[in-house]
Amino acid sequence: MKHVAEVEGHAETRVRMPTRRALAKQQTRAKVLAAARELFSTQGYEGATIRDIAAAAGMSTGAVFANFADKSELFREIMTSDFDAVLVAMSDAAVRGRTVDDALLKAFSAGYAFYRGQMPLVRAALGLSWSCEDGQALRALPTMQDTIELFAEQLALGVERGELSQECEIKLRSQMLFDNYLANYPQAVFGGWSLEALQARSRDQIRVILAGARRG
Amino acid sequence: MLDAARDLFETVGYEETTVREIATRAGVAVGSVFTCFASKAEVLSQVMLDRLEDLYAELDRITPHLRGTVVDRLSSIFALHYAFETRRTPLFLAHIAAAYNWRPGSDSVPYGRNPRLRGMIHDCVADGRNRGEVADDADIPLIVDTLMAAYAWNYRLAAWEQAGPEQMSAIMERQIALVARGFAPTAAAA
Repeated sequence: MKHVAEVEGHAETRVRMPTRRALAKQQTRAKVLAAARELFSTQGYEGATIRDIAAAAGMSTGAVFANFADKSELFREIMTSDFDAVLVAMSDAAVRGRTVDDALLKAFSAGYAFYRGQMPLVRAALGLSWSCEDGQALRALPTMQDTIELFAEQLALGVERGELSQECEIKLRSQMLFDNYLANYPQAVFGGWSLEALQARSRDQIRVILAGARRG
Repeated sequence: MLDAARDLFETVGYEETTVREIATRAGVAVGSVFTCFASKAEVLSQVMLDRLEDLYAELDRITPHLRGTVVDRLSSIFALHYAFETRRTPLFLAHIAAAYNWRPGSDSVPYGRNPRLRGMIHDCVADGRNRGEVADDADIPLIVDTLMAAYAWNYRLAAWEQAGPEQMSAIMERQIALVARGFAPTAAAA
């Protein structure tokens, strides 16, 4: 709202019209995104067509294309907002951890809790991330690297608190934590694992990965 | 049929290849493909299974001759997998993506559920415990899981950064060494 307060007098009347139009455009995009999310979840990425998404949003395919270049842009937009939200949830959870193990487990759990009930969408994202063209855009999202950074920060805090040794190879270890964090999603997707099962597995994985780094 | 499919998936791409093209190249009718396989995804699964037979024939010959520490042996087994799968990287990546390429009613098997590799890694760590290189109280299935996760996600380097098998094996070796410091008997005693 800060920028609104700065606009005064006649300047305000100038900006009002485009803002309203932008708002309408925003609402159209939100409607398309909600319909797309629903269809990706029920039909998979390949199964959901722009035509179906348009119909579900109550608009023409032309109106959808006026807002999004193609299906992959739609999917990327959904993933981007989800990834941002899940990273915030994971960071908030990690802060509440008392030890490095606890902080990492809380972060993992926050991620799994976020996607609970959204496994078809996760499955579509995992598949797409491995494909040549569409995957490029997904893996270029900075949130992927930021999540590894979050794990690295927790390890650094563990070193500061004296829980982990100075030579604990933070970079490699945080990458491995991320590998294992991701590897549990297929378990949830294909094995129908519960949140509790994922947490129990995560706790063990974190222990194994940190075992060689403890001070002792 | 499987040879034709493998070549087309590799050169043209899995998504781009049609069942009709597979039939034409194999010199059979489209109907014959569908009497053997329910879908293109099933053809791909079979192609990958057949390829693995070749890999394991090779590994069965080599593993009895592996020497060195647990870390050395584990590194060799994973390195052989990377070297093998990167001979046909596009095919392997198509296989991974296809497993997730879900539609209602489809029933594909995810990658990374390679029971023979899992078994080999498990045997290798268990053998290390017998030789005193692995702590007695080490949770072997958990160690195997952790290594398998690292192994599987290292393929992202091939998919995203066109990494070769040497680069993937080098990282895997460091990851194995890192986990090994946790399961070494001295670490457990400390």
